[in-house]
Amino acid sequence: MTSNTNQATDAGNNQTFGVIANPASGKDLRRLVARASVFDNQEKQAIVQRALAGAIAGGVTDIRYMPDTHGITECALKDVGRDAPFSAIAVDSTDTATALDTISAARAMAALPCALVMTLGGDGTNRAVCLGWPDAPLLPISTGTNNVFPTLIEATVAGAAAAAVATGRVALADVAHQNKVVLIEIDDERDDIALIDAVVTSDRFVGSRALLEPDRLRLLLLTRAEPAAVGMTAIGGLMRPMPDSEDAGLLVECDPASERKVNAPIAPGHYRPIGISNLRAVALGETIVIEGPAALAFDGERERTLKPGQKARMKIMRCGPRVIDPVKTMRLLAAA
Amino acid sequence: MAEAATKPRTLPYVAAITDGVRAVLNEQPTAFVAGEDVAEAGSVYGYYNGLLKEFGPERVIDTPISEAGIVGLGVGAAAAGCRPIIDIMFMDFLGECMDEVANQMAKIRFMFGGNTSLPVTMLTMAGAGASLAAQHSQSLEAWICHLPGLKVVMPTTPYDAKGLIIAAARDDNPVIVVLNKMSLAMQGEVPEEDYEIPIGKANIVRQGSNLTIVALGRMMHEALKAADQLKEFGIDAEVIDPRSLQPFDTDTVTASVRKTHRAIVVHEAVRFGGFGGEIAAQIQEQAFDYLDAPVGRVGAPFSPVPFSPALEAHYVPNAERIVAETKRLLGL
Amino acid sequence: MSDAISKETLLDIHRRMVRIRHFESTAGKLMEDGKIPGALHLYVGQEAVAAGVMANLTDEDQITSTHRGHGHCIAKGGAFNEMFAELYGKVTGYCKGKGGSMHISNQALGILGANGIVGGGPPIAMGAAFANKFHKNGKVAVPFFGDGASNEGSVHEAANMAGLYKLPIVFVCENNGYGEYTPQAKHQAIVDVADRAAGYGMPGVVVDGMDAVAVYEAAREAINRARAGDGPTLLECKTYRYYDHVGIRGMGLNYRTDEEVEEWKKKDAIDALERLLADQQMLSADEAKAVHDEVLAEVATAIKFAEDSPLPDPSTLLDDVYA
Repeated sequence: MTSNTNQATDAGNNQTFGVIANPASGKDLRRLVARASVFDNQEKQAIVQRALAGAIAGGVTDIRYMPDTHGITECALKDVGRDAPFSAIAVDSTDTATALDTISAARAMAALPCALVMTLGGDGTNRAVCLGWPDAPLLPISTGTNNVFPTLIEATVAGAAAAAVATGRVALADVAHQNKVVLIEIDDERDDIALIDAVVTSDRFVGSRALLEPDRLRLLLLTRAEPAAVGMTAIGGLMRPMPDSEDAGLLVECDPASERKVNAPIAPGHYRPIGISNLRAVALGETIVIEGPAALAFDGERERTLKPGQKARMKIMRCGPRVIDPVKTMRLLAAA
Repeated sequence: MAEAATKPRTLPYVAAITDGVRAVLNEQPTAFVAGEDVAEAGSVYGYYNGLLKEFGPERVIDTPISEAGIVGLGVGAAAAGCRPIIDIMFMDFLGECMDEVANQMAKIRFMFGGNTSLPVTMLTMAGAGASLAAQHSQSLEAWICHLPGLKVVMPTTPYDAKGLIIAAARDDNPVIVVLNKMSLAMQGEVPEEDYEIPIGKANIVRQGSNLTIVALGRMMHEALKAADQLKEFGIDAEVIDPRSLQPFDTDTVTASVRKTHRAIVVHEAVRFGGFGGEIAAQIQEQAFDYLDAPVGRVGAPFSPVPFSPALEAHYVPNAERIVAETKRLLGL
Repeated sequence: MSDAISKETLLDIHRRMVRIRHFESTAGKLMEDGKIPGALHLYVGQEAVAAGVMANLTDEDQITSTHRGHGHCIAKGGAFNEMFAELYGKVTGYCKGKGGSMHISNQALGILGANGIVGGGPPIAMGAAFANKFHKNGKVAVPFFGDGASNEGSVHEAANMAGLYKLPIVFVCENNGYGEYTPQAKHQAIVDVADRAAGYGMPGVVVDGMDAVAVYEAAREAINRARAGDGPTLLECKTYRYYDHVGIRGMGLNYRTDEEVEEWKKKDAIDALERLLADQQMLSADEAKAVHDEVLAEVATAIKFAEDSPLPDPSTLLDDVYA
């Protein structure tokens, strides 16, 4: 491994490599209500460490990371870096133990810019990254609960693939695919974004964020409808699959009274019948208007509320993160 | 209920414990037994043998090796309407749960202004003599007698074991029943029916006229042997088994001393700072004018309980040491 | 599954929080003015946890509390008169003046005692949960404890046994970032106490303890689960105490910055809930002020009750040592 590192360093083509590990992922109410497992921070640290080992072996020398409140990345760097020739610098970000830290770290990485950002977290983590850097080059590794967005891959390999892109040995354009996103505008408030699903519920509060009550679902706007996934995307996916590659979105309107039901795993191990009143594809750019009172959930968690009478507009566009395919990357690297 | 001694039947001390616990489980529907190895194994000394089969796993419960948890289980369950019997396998393990015993179980009723009663019975095993060394042999009654809110009893015979366990379980206070592992095989009369030994009432096990020996726990039997040996020196010893240390039956002891004018206190625990000091002080406070000699004390040397049989035999007080101390005290 | 959270529930949670806030801030002043003897550990800042959890419990359910326990007792239904009287050491207090701030208890309200020993409560709550299972009575026990207490062996033993016996209990860890004066990073190698749940064979959940609705919803799931016989949960609430470990200003030790305190106050749970309720047209500013005024009046009445109450007669000292 040491010799590989040296060779890569000699190649001298390094670009800045961003790392964002979300300490809060894998701890929410789905541990309790669904059959999700706790993702403890020791395990996250180990994953970051393995990803960094892959990245450093792949020649990365300039690491920029989010200084998370749990010290996950810092501890991983300490352990991985004893013999490896690299520098690691914390980017300037907030210290609020909320998603704001991820957003501001992503913003800082966009400003540098980093060649890419490797994320450890779930859909929510990657959504926060996109709030700070909407079209970030991303290599997402899953540590969340019921994730559609990040890749289920051994972190070591993901780190190596990310390194191949960061060092320029594989071109980003050859292995990245720009994702669709839902863009949300809310009257008198800041805009928001969702990677997979924007969901309107009859809740009045964000509360515990979990989205577990099917009778409160009103409307789902999906960038992807995945029959082989868990979460809101499965509701559409089990009726009308839609991959990210298709230039359209899926609108699902829910009504508990409807006779048309789909029994979907809305959380891990947690099947619920959902009443469906309408289902249709929407074109990119088509605006869906909704009115409060309501809660808006993005990528599986309640995030915002609408006051009575307050309106929001949602549309799907292909302007999201450029997501790196690690398997394709490693194949190209091997072939080169 | 009064003491009852009809239908004589002989049982070893170990079976008398079982008999007492069985009586409690039969009598009190919210009683259960919880402790380490009490259910499947029937306890390391076998005194819960058969109870699991008889009463089922909801009432005879194996716990993890977690003494603080066990006492907490007893305290919390008692506060919530049960009458638990909890087992601390060796008295030495009190160290693992002393906060639960001293700061929770003992004090809760008082701290709460009397709004909560804790009818917890704790059985625990004390005593040296089995080469179990310093952490499985101690007699630590002084620790728990110093805690207002607890009652402490020490049964010395099979009869008392059953009767005191029943009395402890019927009491609405936390009661610690200190058993002695060297007494387990001792045979004695144990009636089949339920009876209780009143807590706080000493037992005069031998009448005498010119020396009072107050002997705790197993030392009562050594005191009886000593009394026999002392006859040749003209000593007619009265032997008192307090049975209950907290509350302590000062009246019976001082009445005896007023009659005999001499007293010696014997326990297995380390003499220095032991409960015998309290008894001696009480005698001198309440019967000073009747005393013809200082109150003597026999206890273990100021050392942890040793392992080697040779050292342990030297360590544990016995009849010979009681005789020697008596002779020294009386100038015989 | 649970119903949507009702307006009545939210207003109830709000009132519980306001009651705690005004009771505590007033009690703290009375202590620092020397009117209340001894030491008070005040709950100001953490109100959302007690209120959000307790709104899911009945009088029959049991709690154990901590040295910082007034908030739990108030949220569980504790009356100001008896609580203030206890703090004043009066015979009309919940414990007849024998317990004081750190030992307030009431069987009728299921309060199995505040506890002056850090980590003292969870084993007792575990025992109560054991009794609940024994009696099959559907009651749930909830021990509150802090990040500091999570390092006590007693908490570990209680959690292990609760997991083993699948008891109806919810361990609520109020992680306020400090074990007395020691910051969490200097007393444990982990940041989320909930990570330990896996070791006890129970789910662990982290929730924002400054968000009363989030606490309420998470506690509801955990308590329903316990009541249904599905076993214990470790619910960690991230929160913060505004005042010192003891009193308001306390000993003036230099262990945290004013800036840190002010940052947390920006997330104040009562302010946040009042904003939410206003947004949702459930509680206007005037209505919120009326709640505060009512509670302040109740505090004043209770202080007068306590001050006018007699001290315990020394002859009653030994009355409650034994039953």
